[in-house]
This record gives sequence, structure tokens and C-alpha cells, in this order.
Amino acid sequence: MIIVQILINGLLLGGFYAVIGVGFSLIWGVTNIINLAHGAMALLGAYITFFLFQEYGIDPFLSLPFSFLCLFIFGYILQRFLLNLVVRAQIFMLLILTFGIEIFLVNFMTTFFSADFRSITPEYAGTSFVIGDIVIPYIRLAVFAICIFVTFLLSLFLNKTWHGKAIKATSLDLDAAMMVGISPAKIYALTFAIASGIAGVAGSLLPLTQAFSPSIAGSLTLRAFTVSILGGLGRVEGALIGGILLGIAETLSSYFIGESYKNAITLGIMVLVLVIKPTGLLGKKYFAEVKH
Amino acid sequence: MKKSILLFGIFLIIMLCLPFFVSGYWLRVLTQTFMFAAIATGSNIIIGYTGYPAFGNIAFFGVGAYVTGVLMTKYEISFLATLPFCALSGFIIAVLLGIPLLRLKGHYFAIATIGVMEAIREIVDNMTDITGGGMGLTLPIMEGEPAYIYKFFYYTIMLIMLFSIAVAFIIWRSKFGYALRAIRIDEDAASVMGINTTVYKTLAWALSAALVGIVGGAYAYWLTYIDPHTAFETTYSVKMFAMILLGGATTVLGPMIGAFILELISEIVWSKFIEIHGMILGALIVFIVLFIPKGLFETFKGGFSLRKIIINLKEYRL
Repeated sequence: MIIVQILINGLLLGGFYAVIGVGFSLIWGVTNIINLAHGAMALLGAYITFFLFQEYGIDPFLSLPFSFLCLFIFGYILQRFLLNLVVRAQIFMLLILTFGIEIFLVNFMTTFFSADFRSITPEYAGTSFVIGDIVIPYIRLAVFAICIFVTFLLSLFLNKTWHGKAIKATSLDLDAAMMVGISPAKIYALTFAIASGIAGVAGSLLPLTQAFSPSIAGSLTLRAFTVSILGGLGRVEGALIGGILLGIAETLSSYFIGESYKNAITLGIMVLVLVIKPTGLLGKKYFAEVKH
Repeated sequence: MKKSILLFGIFLIIMLCLPFFVSGYWLRVLTQTFMFAAIATGSNIIIGYTGYPAFGNIAFFGVGAYVTGVLMTKYEISFLATLPFCALSGFIIAVLLGIPLLRLKGHYFAIATIGVMEAIREIVDNMTDITGGGMGLTLPIMEGEPAYIYKFFYYTIMLIMLFSIAVAFIIWRSKFGYALRAIRIDEDAASVMGINTTVYKTLAWALSAALVGIVGGAYAYWLTYIDPHTAFETTYSVKMFAMILLGGATTVLGPMIGAFILELISEIVWSKFIEIHGMILGALIVFIVLFIPKGLFETFKGGFSLRKIIINLKEYRL
């Protein structure tokens, strides 16, 4: 019975990882930028939710759209006026640039919001749903549902709207996209903005399930990265499967091998997948990779 | 070429005499600068020459630190005798990891090396019997007066830096270095020309790991205390990359110059704005990438001018 509980915990955790990873994967797939500041941006969302709850008593779930909007604007400005300037440089410059942004944001949060670990406990925090021996807290279930909903919305946006199709076109062939009148600078900025907004939503869900501080930014980015590798770049449904796989792998390994080896195992899986099948478990050659 | 050797000689003489004129504080700052210069120069063999962004190269720094730490505390081997072991362990680990990982390119390789670094850190953290785990490892303290100890580490780490530069220089001038540059520019073409790219890449990474390992060993004895988080410090990786970029990745002395500029700037920033120095460091890195992405050497070859910065800014934009 315990194994079922572990699998369910893994599944619920996996939903969160999927939302953290899907934006990261989208940016990487479309613009070929590895955004090492992704975890730090998610934490900005977490702080927005935390302060709205603490100062004004706004329910964490209600602050999701607000945190999406804030991070959307932040991401748009960042890509339009900073990252677009160096997007054609060698890849490791972009890595350092985004890491510079990460250092800046983490230190900003540490200075102004302090390095304390914080979390939110709304009134309904303790309630859960019980079948036999299996316990499912309502909050985790709600977080999971929102995660699925967000990935579904993103998939809908990319496949059905003009802007979504323009994003896909840009990532498949930049020159051809320009020829049909798509402005890549704007599309890159829009992609980054949407991905940041989703990172903000993921961040807002974070304080509901675990304690956070600026210091966990790196480990969030690492999870996002692993999800992208597992699921393949720029693939929304891939990120969902990758996230769930990662969540289950993590809970299983913490149970059988020990909590302290969790990161090493995650990384081991990632490196193994990279070496055996660099395009991801489900991925084909996709998006930005075709160009290079 | 002659001019830069002359300038380097003058710089060396100044650095050799400096400990007799400056305070212990500046001696420490300079020792740290030498340390970064050695790391950046060693790592540049794989990053700059071969074009493989080994983002997690600090892993070998940590390995070196722990090799010295464990050998000195558990087996009572003297400090200088541990350094060859640091180099050897870095070399072996890089060869073993290089065979699977160097098949990856670009982002994938960069992130895989970060993964390796985190994994090694976690393994060290969990081997409490040997490494002391999260409690850290306290090394024997060197005997002698503080002034003597300061000078000892100043000259030791300076020698290590010079050794790294010498190795980097010999590689640069050799046929091997030529092959590495060929791999950076076009790996397939290099392979067609008869270069065994797998062997060359692996050897380049192993040599750079060995050099970085030695620096780690010296660092452990210098600090006399290491724990997994100081030995495998992620910000060191970033600093190292920023130094290589600032100085110029396709030069021998560039990383060292980058190290001097960045370390001295961050020291001044650190002492003036202790609260926000991390933010300033982040902003500084962003500015380096934006304005001098080719490094100071390449950008200002024929003299300083603002126009060159603007040209740089336009080159990579969308």
C-alpha cells in the first residue's frame, strides 16, 4: 500500500515540476536560450503570493493571475531590451548572462526579503482526502489540477492562436518566419514573457506545498532543466510527462535509497538520458535545434 | 608577441616583490586573485581552446581540495606531496567522464558538467566517514608565524598559476593546441583532417581538470577548513567564466588578466557595498557579456574606443 502512496505523491509533485519545466523548455526550444534565472523568476512569483497573503490576506490561489501578469511584464522587458541584444552570440555567453541575472535576482531577494524560509498555511491546509490508507491533501490535489490546466492552456495557445503559431513558426525556421511578416524580436519577447509568467504561477504554487527561500532558486532551475531533457525541448505535453516521471523518480529514490541522494539520482538520470538520447525521451529533433 | 612577454615579465617582477611592501589584507586578496587566475587559465584549455563550455569545471577544484584534505588528515602526507594526487584524481575523473560526456555539444555538455558537479558534491556530502560530510574537514594548520604563512601561500599559489600558464602556453604553441582549435572551429572538418577528436577532446579536458585540481588542493590547505559547499562553490564557476570572457577565451594570458580585473573590482565593491555586493556582481557579469563579449584583448587590439563597444553591441542582436 505504501508504494501506491509513494506513486501518488510522486504524481502530485510531478505536476508542479511540469509547470516549472514547461516554460523553461519553451524558451530553450524557441530561442535556444538556457534561462538559468528561471528558478529565481519563479521565486519572485512565490514572494508576490506570500506578501499578498501576509499583508492583505488574499488567498494564495487568487493571487495566481496577478503573479502571472507581473512576471509576464518582467519577462517581456528582460528579453526585449537585454537578451535580444546578445541572442546570436555563442551559447556560453547566454549561459553566463542568464546566470548573472540569477545572481542579481537571488541577491536582490535575499537583501530585501531576507534569507528566511517562508511558507503559507491557509485555513484549509490540514484537510485531506482519504481512501483506505492513502491520504491526498486537498491543497496538493488543487495544485496538481492547476498545473494540468496551465499546461493545457499553453498547449491550446500554441496550437490555436495566431501568436502561438507564430512562436512555433519562428522556432522552426527564423528566416522563413521573417519572410511572412513575423517580427522575431517581438516573438522572442512574447515567448520569454509567457514562459516567465508560467514560472511565476509555478512559484505562486510553491509556498502552498513547501517552505521556500532565495537559496532554492538553483535547485528549481535544475528541476526545470531535467524536465526539459526528459520531455524534449519546447514540447508542452513532453514537459508534463517529463515532470511526472521526475516526480515519481524522486519520491521513489528518496524512499528506497535515501533522501540525501535525491539530487544525485535526479542528475544521474538526466546525464544518462543526455548520453543515450540527447533529444529527450520523447523528443525528436525540434525547434531551435534544427538551426544549429 | 615580444611586447606582451616583456609586459608579463615586468608584471611578474612586481608581483614577486610585492609581499615585502603590502599589508596582510592585500596579500590575501592577491593570493585569491592568483587562485582564480589559475582556475580560469586551466579551464580555458577546454573552454576557450576546444570550445566545450565546461560550466561545472569547479567540480575538479572540489575534488582536489578533498584529496589534499583527506590525504593530510587521514594519512598524514605532507602538503606538497598531495598536489600530484590532486592532479591525478582530476585527470582520471575527467577521462572517465569525458568519454561519455564529450559526445554532447553546446548546452547539453554545459549542463551535464553542472550535473556532474552537483552529483560529486552530494557524494562527498554523504561519505561522512572519509570526508566528514556536512560537518566539513579541518586540515592541520601550518606551523610558523602568520606573516610567513601568508607569504608561503602567496608564492605557492602564484607558482601554481605560473605553472598553469606555462602548460596552457605550451599547449597553445604545440600541434595538440592547433588540433584543439581546429575542433572548436569545425569538429567534423577536424575529424576529416585526421584528428582523433575523441582522444584530443578528452585529453584537453583531463589536462584542464588536473590543473584545476592542483589549485583546489592548495586552496584546502590555505583555508584549513573545507566543506562540500565551499569546495564546490557554484559562483566560482560563474566567476571563472566571466573572467575568461572578460580577458578573451582565445588567448593564453586573457583569463589571467580577466581574473585580475574582476577580482580587484569585486574586492572594491565588496568592501564598499557589503549589503548589495552580490547584486553588483550579477550586474557586472551582465555588462561584460553585453559590451565586451569578445574579451578585452580582441576588442581593444588597436587601442580603446567607444565605437568598438557599440559595434560589439550590434553584432549579436536579433
